[in-house]
Amino acid sequence: MKIFNKSLKNLLTLGIVGVTLFGSGCESALEIDPRQSIDAGIALETRGGITAAINSVYARLRSADNYGRALIVDADALADLGVATGNSGRQINQARNQFNTHINNWQNSYYAINEINLILEAIPNLVETPPVSEDEANSWNGQMKFLRALYYFDLVKVYAYMPGAVVDQLNKGGIPVVLEGVISTELALTRLPARETIDAVYSQIYADLNDAISLLSNSSNPYYASQGAAYGLLSRVALYRKDYATAVSAATQALASNSGVILSGNAYVAGWRSESNPESMFEVRFFNATEGVGGVNESLQSSTTSIIDLGNPQSQGGWGDFVPNALLLEQIGVSASGSGSDPRAYTVTRGADIRAELYAVGNGRGSGPKLEVTKYMGKSGVPYVDNAPVLRKSEVLLNRAEAQTYAGAALNLDAALADLNTFRAARGLDAFVSSDADEIREEILLQRKIELAFEGQRYFDLKRLGRDIIKPQGDVAFTDIRILAPLPQREIDGNPNLVQNEGY
Amino acid sequence: MRKVLLLGLMWFLCSAIAFAQDRVVTGTVISTEDNLGVPGATVIVKGTTNGTATDLDGKFSLSVPQSGGVLVASFVGFLSQEITIGNQSDFTIMLEPDAKLLSEVVVTGYGTQSKREVTGAVSQIKGELIENLPLQSFDRAMQGRAAGVQVSSANGLPGGAVNIRIRGVGSVNAGNEPLYIVDGVQLNSRNDADFTQSNPLAFLNPNDIESMEILKDAASASIYGAQAANGVVIITTKKGKSGKAQFTFNVYAGTTEPLKYLDVTDGTEVYQLRKEAYTNAGNGLPEANALNSMGELPSNWQSLTRDELDQIAADFDFYDWQREALITGQIRNYELSMSGGDDRTTYFLSGSYNQQEATVSPVNFQRGTFAVKLATQANSKLRFETNLNLSTFSQNTPFATDGAFLGNPAFSAATVLPQNPIYNEDGSFNESISGILNQNVIAVNSYNSGQQRTNQFVGNIAANYKILDNLTFRSLFGLDYRLVQGEDYTDPRTPDGRGVQGRGSIQSNWNVNFITTQTLSYNKTFNSVHNVSGIYGIEFRQETNQGISGSATGFPTFQFRTVQSAAIPEDITSFWTGFKRLGTFLQVNYDYNKKYLVTLTGRYDGSSRFGADNLYGFFPSIRAGWYLKEEDFLKSSSTISELKLRVSYGITGNDQIGNFDSRGLYQGVGTYNGSGGIRPVGLANPELSWEKNRTFNIGLDYGLFGNRVSGAIDVFNRESTDLLFPQPILWTNGFGSVTRNVGSLENRGVEFEISTVNVNTPSGFRWNTDFNITYIENELTSLYDGLTELPSDPAIRVGESLGSYFSYEYAGVNPATGRPMWYDIDGNLKYQVQAADRKILGNSLPSWYGGMNNTFSYKGLELTVFFQYEYGRLIPDGQVGFMRENASRLTLNALQQTYDARWTEPGQITYQPRVYSGGTEPRSSGMNTGGASLFNADYIRLKQVSLAYNLQPALLSKIGLTRARIYATGVNLWTYADGYPGYDPEFLGSATGIIPQTRNITLGLQVGF
Repeated sequence: MKIFNKSLKNLLTLGIVGVTLFGSGCESALEIDPRQSIDAGIALETRGGITAAINSVYARLRSADNYGRALIVDADALADLGVATGNSGRQINQARNQFNTHINNWQNSYYAINEINLILEAIPNLVETPPVSEDEANSWNGQMKFLRALYYFDLVKVYAYMPGAVVDQLNKGGIPVVLEGVISTELALTRLPARETIDAVYSQIYADLNDAISLLSNSSNPYYASQGAAYGLLSRVALYRKDYATAVSAATQALASNSGVILSGNAYVAGWRSESNPESMFEVRFFNATEGVGGVNESLQSSTTSIIDLGNPQSQGGWGDFVPNALLLEQIGVSASGSGSDPRAYTVTRGADIRAELYAVGNGRGSGPKLEVTKYMGKSGVPYVDNAPVLRKSEVLLNRAEAQTYAGAALNLDAALADLNTFRAARGLDAFVSSDADEIREEILLQRKIELAFEGQRYFDLKRLGRDIIKPQGDVAFTDIRILAPLPQREIDGNPNLVQNEGY
Repeated sequence: MRKVLLLGLMWFLCSAIAFAQDRVVTGTVISTEDNLGVPGATVIVKGTTNGTATDLDGKFSLSVPQSGGVLVASFVGFLSQEITIGNQSDFTIMLEPDAKLLSEVVVTGYGTQSKREVTGAVSQIKGELIENLPLQSFDRAMQGRAAGVQVSSANGLPGGAVNIRIRGVGSVNAGNEPLYIVDGVQLNSRNDADFTQSNPLAFLNPNDIESMEILKDAASASIYGAQAANGVVIITTKKGKSGKAQFTFNVYAGTTEPLKYLDVTDGTEVYQLRKEAYTNAGNGLPEANALNSMGELPSNWQSLTRDELDQIAADFDFYDWQREALITGQIRNYELSMSGGDDRTTYFLSGSYNQQEATVSPVNFQRGTFAVKLATQANSKLRFETNLNLSTFSQNTPFATDGAFLGNPAFSAATVLPQNPIYNEDGSFNESISGILNQNVIAVNSYNSGQQRTNQFVGNIAANYKILDNLTFRSLFGLDYRLVQGEDYTDPRTPDGRGVQGRGSIQSNWNVNFITTQTLSYNKTFNSVHNVSGIYGIEFRQETNQGISGSATGFPTFQFRTVQSAAIPEDITSFWTGFKRLGTFLQVNYDYNKKYLVTLTGRYDGSSRFGADNLYGFFPSIRAGWYLKEEDFLKSSSTISELKLRVSYGITGNDQIGNFDSRGLYQGVGTYNGSGGIRPVGLANPELSWEKNRTFNIGLDYGLFGNRVSGAIDVFNRESTDLLFPQPILWTNGFGSVTRNVGSLENRGVEFEISTVNVNTPSGFRWNTDFNITYIENELTSLYDGLTELPSDPAIRVGESLGSYFSYEYAGVNPATGRPMWYDIDGNLKYQVQAADRKILGNSLPSWYGGMNNTFSYKGLELTVFFQYEYGRLIPDGQVGFMRENASRLTLNALQQTYDARWTEPGQITYQPRVYSGGTEPRSSGMNTGGASLFNADYIRLKQVSLAYNLQPALLSKIGLTRARIYATGVNLWTYADGYPGYDPEFLGSATGIIPQTRNITLGLQVGF
């Protein structure tokens, strides 16, 4: 049989060769190339290739696992801001902090980081005519460093404790940090990164942000990384790291940058109605319907409001699955009264806080009219498509205010109070009077909660402060295992060096 | 070929002893076909063992009694002939070919064989068996007809996808679809429709099929090399027959109706469930909350007592949405064909129109076909033939082919809260529907519109040139061209269309599939007993597939439905893909006197889908047969009329992966802020190669009592190695997986087929039974790196079957608390499961399946009763999964069965937990976790009953017809599926919101003239 096989095989090979004599061999007879892809080996060898690859890294921020939904809606549902209406059944488990229900931005973020690493490795090797200028290279490198810092920060805040707020017996460290791009099967199958310490991860984020600051220009375009945005993000990272001096200095630089403005009064509300919020130092661009994520079921708009058109709240829009709870509404100073299924029959009462204007009564789908947040109203000109806020200048002001209330080198209560009252004035509130650091800090944190509600920050603010989550659906103590997200099980299964968070 | 057969078939004389050699007669046995002598024919004196065989010229001499006696001449393939001896001494005996036996030809790879010569595992389904069944594609008609071939519907859309597995599931991640070949043209069965499912195999009118052959073992299929691993289905269409023109006109018409309606709760019962759910969750206002969640809370509720609130629910009306949404439809079919020709040229022309409506309006199927088959003998050496099949079919699109969509009637009709009226009092649609399913599916589906069209051409042109008497060259060029177009419109009056002022989507997809096959075939007989034949060929196939699609929103009014009138372009995209294959093959057949048969096959085959280092592969096979009936010890047996042992072993390949899976690529994806993006989408694997299937097959063909009982038994072991597996890559390394050749699995099985003539009375009553059963077991035998389970999917486990459920065993409800419980890995009860508690619960692949066909005939009257069955299958039913939540999580309707069974009081033993608002009890796993939502899907289905009457020839000739047949057919008439709660146990997977199959009843008339 074997001899037969061999001779038959030779004969048939001969046949193939015979057929392809007119061509140029067996391989070419089967030659066919894809038309919507190009070989990885040449993809990053052109200027256009680099800029397109950079676009993809930005685009990954739009994923529903990142700013498309999870880091905004799911994160807030895990916190103490609201309740799930059950209209579509979504967010119920997040709002109840159901075991194993969490944010899962691991896959998409590491994919983005790999793309960044590949781009950073490709830039120095680029041979182009005209040659790549230093400004061009700096801009590319700076954007990649900023985005790598952002992706790592978003990972470490989800999967690990924050510096200075650690439950020691549950602590398994930070997250893997990979800085080398993978494009070969061999490396992909053999690299088994372990979790770095929390501090090492923050140091890496610092390093990337500092590089970004030195490489990027002081631009005002919020859709792309800028020097101001890098300073602003650094101020938040430093606040999480309890490095208050850096938080203050970075915030000061950010506030002085061309990126973003702090709005007040009606302009503030109008800012939330415009395609790009002028307050934004960095926001994720959702350009058109094709770039939209989640649509009628899971977009930011659909998740947070049932209104499709503010002028006609009775007209059915999205699901409005996650809405503010009573405490938050009280803190904002907004209430609604009325009955029946028509939202127009309800009267909304608002206090001095201009932010109350961002809440309106929607039709509420199956569960009836109620107050819903209206930060996401299809502002990109298409229903269910909104830019996602990542960093606003108002937050940076609050970062600085808060950093100045902690004991240590950065402590400066007068400056903190001044920042707080600048902010309160911009929201239509009277000046806050106190000389007690804790009192001032609590007020700053309250303003931060109201200001950034439905922007996905509250959960991480509670976490960095080591605070319990107090909510009617059931409190979650800071020492509860549910505070940390489970690492994807497949990653644990495939990587002996990777340790799962406690309890999963 | 006939001549070869005659020359080649040498018959040995069975031992004959003459008792009384009184005188010798001589004679010649001659075939009426060519007036030549028939060598090897048997001539005996009737009722004795006294006989002889004819020589090469058909001559014989034989001693016969002095007086009386009858000579019987017989030869395989001919009708026996009896002649009274009398006092004649020289005989010329004319043998007529047996038309029935002659047709017992089996189409195999690149040729045909007589059934007797087949040594592989090949099933044949004759066209007449599936004639006039109201089914759109032949693959669906194969269900239950052949052992080893499992057919399941992926949905009930007319012209929708069908799932065929020949001898089990051989691949985890590459395709499991067989190779389809229609008139020499290899086809794919991929659905290219965006808005419904359009089965490309529905292009062919099943009534144009002459026969379908299924090559099951690797040895039979290996001549198709790298694409044959999942078996090969060869379709041969009807061809012209010489003679005067024969016309056949055929018409049938009838109705389709739903197989089943689910028994659902009414609004009062849903209220009761909601109220209980709130009470159990500790809510203080269960009545008001229950009414509120159902959208029925009056604004003055605070002034009402609890009893008054209860009364509101007690007064709910019940509206039967299922019977409004699932309705009866129509079937119509018209065909006309013409066949004829002379001794040089034959032709067959046919045209048909077929229409069928699903039970979900407006889903339907309309097809027109046109076929031309021509063959002509240009001269004594050269023969041309062409077969052209043109087809167009259109389908009104459903809201969705599946899924728990609010507007999908297949899902929502049973689950919408039933106190919602369908129509307002003035007859208009009620648009204010409460509950989570807040769309009026009747309105939505009458407002929306969409159509999918498939235009398809499958045809070939071939030339045969006889180089020598026993050497023929054949050149075939084939084309399969398919254009799939669609449009879909979400009406601005529907909830989904309102926000965007209507959405229009369009699609165009074309597939060009070219094939050419050049073959040389040879046959010769040496020394009268050594028969050698062979075929050598070269084949090239190229397929390209490309498409464009787009959508737009913002329509002025609902009357405007083309994208041209839309204000906002939403999405526009296109794609292109393709592959090439090149192969050479050689097959050599040898037999000794048709008794010992052996075939060697090899194909050297290349596919562009594989890595640069492994473009080509070699696929050899061997098969052998022993025709035992010809051995002396069986030759005279009156019990055993046929016995053949078959053994085969071969290797085939599977290349059903993405066209560019071996390449490391950056794809154009990830636009940002309106400018284009690219990102890596795959890792390069230049070593990527085909999956190998090695099948060992032992089979026995048997016939007893003059073939009153006949059939086949096959035992096989199909081993799939080098599985095309997406080996997981750590996400931290930037990719999800890389396709590699790792792992192996096995399918082991037994196939049994039996055909019996139960009754055959002289008065003409006949009862035949054909029964087949397949037992198959599947086992994953290895993964990679010594793993025993796949990290990304632990249900894929070494030592277990594919399709296994690796999950939590359900333990029913705690009688004390009403909460659902599961077993942990040690068998203890628990409320909240953990990963370590998972175990194998069963699997979704049936262990046993088959069919049984009974035919009763009496003087032109025919009754066919066909059952089909599957056993040993577990499936989750998505629809039931939602409905057995008993409205605890979402306000949608429940099943009456789960309502009645729910836990309500301590001590109650039941499988159905108490209701709890939000669905899941605190510190509990969800009620549908693991085994709680798996159902036994064993079933027996009365697939077909046909009653037909053929008018008697005497009457026919009076009215100038050659054939007239009146028939009635019912499809899917009855199903036995004990305890299965969903619409249809046949469906694959969770089948949520799938358009159900239908019961079809038709009446028809077929006339020939």
